[in-house]
Amino acid sequence: MSATAPAHPAIAGPRLITGQGLAMALVIAVLAVFVLYPIYYLLQAAFDVGGADIRPPTAYGLDNFAALPKYQTVMLNTVMVALAATVMALVFGFVTAWILTRTNVPFAGALEQLMAVPYYVTPLLGALAWSLLGAPESGFINQLWRHFGGSEALIDITSPMGIAWVMALFEGSVAFVMISAVMTSMDPSLEEAAQMTGAGRWRTMLTITLPLVAPGVLGATIFVFAEMLGSFSAALVLGTPSRFYVITTAIYHFVSQYPPRLPLAAAMGVSLFAVMFVMLWLYRRIVMRKSYVTISGKAFRPRVMDVGWLRWLLFGVCVLYLVLSVLLPILTLLFASVQKLAVAFPKAANFTLDNFRQALALNAIKTAMTNSLLLGMITATLGVVFTGLLAWMIQRSRLPGRGVLEYIAMFPQAVPRLVFAFGMMWAWLVFPIPIYGTFWVLLIAYLTVFLPLGLRTISGVIMQLDRSLDECGQVSGASWGHRLRTITIPLLKPGLLAAWLLIFVASVRELGASILLMGPDSKVLTPAIVEAWFSSSSELTAAMALIQTAVIGVVLALFTSLTRRASRYGA
Amino acid sequence: MSDKTTTTRRQTLKAGLALATLPFAGLIRQAEAQNRPLTKVLDFTTAADVAKAEAEGEFTFYSHDSEPAIAGILEAFNKDFPKIKGKYVRAQNGSLFSRVTAERSAGRFVADVIQFSELSTAMDFQKRGGYTAYVSPQSEFYAPEHLSNPVGNFFWIGVTFVGIAYNTDKVKAEDAPRDWPDILKPAWQNGISVKQSNSGTQFVQWFELRKIYGEKFWQDFAKLRPRGFDSRVQLYDRLAKGDDKVCALAEYAGYLLHKEKGAPIAFVSPPTGLPAGPLLCGVADKAPNGEAARLFLDWQMSLRGQKHQQTHPMLYYGSVRKDAPPMPGGARLSDYKLLAPKDLDAYTAARDTFTKEWNGMLGL
Amino acid sequence: MANPPAAPVIEVENLSIRYGAVTAVEGVGFRAGKGEQLTLLGPSGCGKTSTMRAVAGLEKPSAGSIRIDGTVMFDADAGINVPAERRGLSMVFQSYAIWPHMTVFDNVAYGLRVRGESGATLKEKVHHALDLVKMTQFAGRNASALSGGQQQRVALARACAFPSSVILFDEPLSNLDAKLRAEMRIELRDLQRRLGVTALYVTHDLEEALAMSDRIVVMSHGHIEQNGTPADIYNHPRTAFVADFVGSSNLVSGTVLPGSGGDAIVVRTAAGTLLHGIALGRPVGAEATLSLRTVHLALSPARPAGEINVWPVTVRQSVFLGDLSQVHVGWGGQELVIRETGACRFAPGDAAFLSIAPEHCVLLEG
Repeated sequence: MSATAPAHPAIAGPRLITGQGLAMALVIAVLAVFVLYPIYYLLQAAFDVGGADIRPPTAYGLDNFAALPKYQTVMLNTVMVALAATVMALVFGFVTAWILTRTNVPFAGALEQLMAVPYYVTPLLGALAWSLLGAPESGFINQLWRHFGGSEALIDITSPMGIAWVMALFEGSVAFVMISAVMTSMDPSLEEAAQMTGAGRWRTMLTITLPLVAPGVLGATIFVFAEMLGSFSAALVLGTPSRFYVITTAIYHFVSQYPPRLPLAAAMGVSLFAVMFVMLWLYRRIVMRKSYVTISGKAFRPRVMDVGWLRWLLFGVCVLYLVLSVLLPILTLLFASVQKLAVAFPKAANFTLDNFRQALALNAIKTAMTNSLLLGMITATLGVVFTGLLAWMIQRSRLPGRGVLEYIAMFPQAVPRLVFAFGMMWAWLVFPIPIYGTFWVLLIAYLTVFLPLGLRTISGVIMQLDRSLDECGQVSGASWGHRLRTITIPLLKPGLLAAWLLIFVASVRELGASILLMGPDSKVLTPAIVEAWFSSSSELTAAMALIQTAVIGVVLALFTSLTRRASRYGA
Repeated sequence: MSDKTTTTRRQTLKAGLALATLPFAGLIRQAEAQNRPLTKVLDFTTAADVAKAEAEGEFTFYSHDSEPAIAGILEAFNKDFPKIKGKYVRAQNGSLFSRVTAERSAGRFVADVIQFSELSTAMDFQKRGGYTAYVSPQSEFYAPEHLSNPVGNFFWIGVTFVGIAYNTDKVKAEDAPRDWPDILKPAWQNGISVKQSNSGTQFVQWFELRKIYGEKFWQDFAKLRPRGFDSRVQLYDRLAKGDDKVCALAEYAGYLLHKEKGAPIAFVSPPTGLPAGPLLCGVADKAPNGEAARLFLDWQMSLRGQKHQQTHPMLYYGSVRKDAPPMPGGARLSDYKLLAPKDLDAYTAARDTFTKEWNGMLGL
Repeated sequence: MANPPAAPVIEVENLSIRYGAVTAVEGVGFRAGKGEQLTLLGPSGCGKTSTMRAVAGLEKPSAGSIRIDGTVMFDADAGINVPAERRGLSMVFQSYAIWPHMTVFDNVAYGLRVRGESGATLKEKVHHALDLVKMTQFAGRNASALSGGQQQRVALARACAFPSSVILFDEPLSNLDAKLRAEMRIELRDLQRRLGVTALYVTHDLEEALAMSDRIVVMSHGHIEQNGTPADIYNHPRTAFVADFVGSSNLVSGTVLPGSGGDAIVVRTAAGTLLHGIALGRPVGAEATLSLRTVHLALSPARPAGEINVWPVTVRQSVFLGDLSQVHVGWGGQELVIRETGACRFAPGDAAFLSIAPEHCVLLEG
């Protein structure tokens, strides 16, 4: 290299519209249409006091909201169940997170991986299985109870607490993930300092650790509570038979009733939306606040307590959770699906494979499954690309108003899926291009409702990416596109693949939005199982559910192993 | 709430008059007058263009029945016409109606053939121009009261009737209900089931029993905190397993199926009568696959189709076709004392009241 | 301020950088000539990094102008802001910013590839750069497998790989241990001289700045405190901040006595003690503060002859610091700190004589 190098060699000529600017504009436009368009229609329907059939609305007013106090039981039910479920989920999540991150429980690594499985099993499957287990009369557990001399029923899964239990079992794994993250983000030297002053294990835990993780746990609580408010499947399967309605199932009923009470449903949806919005705003405030624990910073390996012989007990606790949420439900479904009429003590003549034969012959299964898998793959791929760009714009660009962008993108999280789909139903019904009732409207719906999920995952990965890696590329003369290709994406690959998997699973298990937007050509998995539940025998439904879970499970295992191999860089 | 779904008084009156005066022989002439050549295919006459129907290759059937039931019908049709595949959309009567009218009001026409489980729903749909005018040559096999007025909108594809059913393990024979007033017994508190307000058959039962026993009947019933469900399969499923003691809207069709499975249930035919409701089927207006739709309708109306409706385990409906064979078990519809709404005007007018009362009773 | 260099390579004028309501840098200006190392020195938060990033194009200032080699890179008034990727500068980051998913070779070759180089010429240049930092044998190694020091060298090689007239160094040595730091200092300076490039260097480490720089710009709270050669800054600090930041200093304030001619200045403290110093051409007011370096103050058991600044003092405290000893004495109503080499000669309570040459009592501005 010569000592008399040119001052600043030209890299490229000046450009008016940069690639970066164009991509940004496109992303904002698409986001606005996907997210705000249905919300507009939702609000329009909520304030519509003219004839329900007449579109566009002829009169606006607050009448629909004025009618809400009549349904205060429903509102109270929702809050009650959500609270109970949140408490239970937090207990599950906190206990398992504590055990797996802070104690020397055996097989911690394997257990941590397994903790994700309840998420895949889905609350719907859990509700179906627990209904078979815990229905007051016909539930297997209760049959066993009576057989051994008990009276009445041991558990009633169709009671509010029963519903909360099922919700909590499956949301518990979400709570686990969030709380473990909080646990591992605490600097262990804070506890070591306490130890040096002479404080014992328990004292340290109570006076140092708990207060430090409290804000993070509080954040997780609020998040889980917001999710519970919008929960749908457990209440649908378990609550409706016993006349127990929460806001989401009430909305579903208003929509599918004859005559439908759409404006009322919209008004209910909007009120739920408002509450969830506030909750999530609170959550963000608490997480954003500079607490002593940095959620987004480096992860520490916290000090592990030696609990001696207790390790096996704690191991048992974790295993128990997995049994209750995964093993037991699947075994129950299997047991029910091979019987003509599912009972706890079947006679030999009661066994049959007819249910499977019938299930496999049903067109709905084959089409629904293919649709869901295809939809899942497309949604995941498009979703990752889109949220990747979005996350980058929010975190790393200097675009004015990118905070607003983040708010819009996170909007769908505050709206229960069912309610959002309601708005989408109207929005896309009147759209000039006929996509209503087709595959495409489902795709759009999924992309929109999973925006927050993708954004959260990818943002987390981007935050950990050292800014200077990109800046160095910039100073070296590489354009934004070049840097994206050669630096950013290769480094983000593991995170992007993880997000892909998450979105794939989420779209395959989706219920609330799909159930309203499905058309004859676009049947998908989870609503198909629900339809089966409501219109055929529970044994047939169990068979259907098992077939579908098995297929999805295989596909998932395949994808996981593929992505795991691809996510190692530097090779 | 401002949804007005009742037909006007004048229209129902006209319908009633028309029903009385229509000679049935004119139906074949009407069919021919449509400018459609009649062809014989398999063992029935159709006015649909079979070649065109096969070219269309598919159609969409909107129905209230359970999925295995619909799948069975479409499978049977496909066996007869392998080139035409049927798809379906299933929802309970009321939801089906909401869905299809919402679609149509936004200019989406997806449904080819539509089946409702309740007369006023079908009449409302007819009023909105939902059906296309197609007079099937099979119409001559039906009494005028079992066709729409004017002919060519929908027909009575079957009749379902309801009695009471109970779980023999949970209910001793001496306590078993025998007639309708027995469903009000306090012993059934929290243990009795019915269908939800969007069920057509449920509306019929409500209307008929109210007429006989007065308004207080259902108010007393409400005190038992009954549970409401979406399909008869669910009702029988729960009854068979003992989740409910008594089912107050027990369709005979469902009873047969579950009895075959070995369920400990018994069916009671109340001497006062069994509320019966027709199932109405018709070709939709602006159907995307018009010829296939007409062919399918003719098939449903034909003896073949009606035999299927009567004998398929998921259906077991009674046929009103004049030359239909007896139902499985040897009985005919006429053997039962059926209660069906005669005063259509009052019937359709009562819909709103029913929905409000029934929803309130079921907790929403 | 010392004479500005002719034909400056880096020219920064009246630069202001604001983040929302916070002003990080205000009114900053300096020039660096060809082959010079200009160091921005100051405590954290003083604005030195922001200034450098503005020169790199990674931050957008709110006012002022930046010129590199005569070309305008940024001018607030004219609305010019050349993006970083087109400024043609090199930069070594504090965290090294080595891309973990590439090999050492690819890391160094990156900038060249962006400029369209490939094949044999590319290889040659990369190896040349790696040679300069003695990392040739690591060329095929995966970059994430290197130690801190090795990464730093690769970062350096990367900065030298493509031709550039300016290299920016953002605290490149702060993550190394003391011994390595000392070695790298020499190597960096060596490299820079050999390449003949201009270096803009940022650090908070005084020793580094003094050892390596041709000029030092001391910054505090977003402003420039002083701009001069290391000797200048050390011997003739302009403000109290510089006096205390660059080495250790005692500050003495008092009223100025009239009549002392030329550059000499006499100050009377509140306690009445007289101190002779120099004004260095700086404006003299009624009150003045003088800076007395701890190492320039001398303590002796007997009264030294021929000194104009001599006072009897009592030792208050004496601390052994290894290479130095630090002695605290009471004087003129305040405490003065003296540093001298060697073991402590005095114990608390001892009487001694304090002296200092007038040219070491510097008048501070502002």
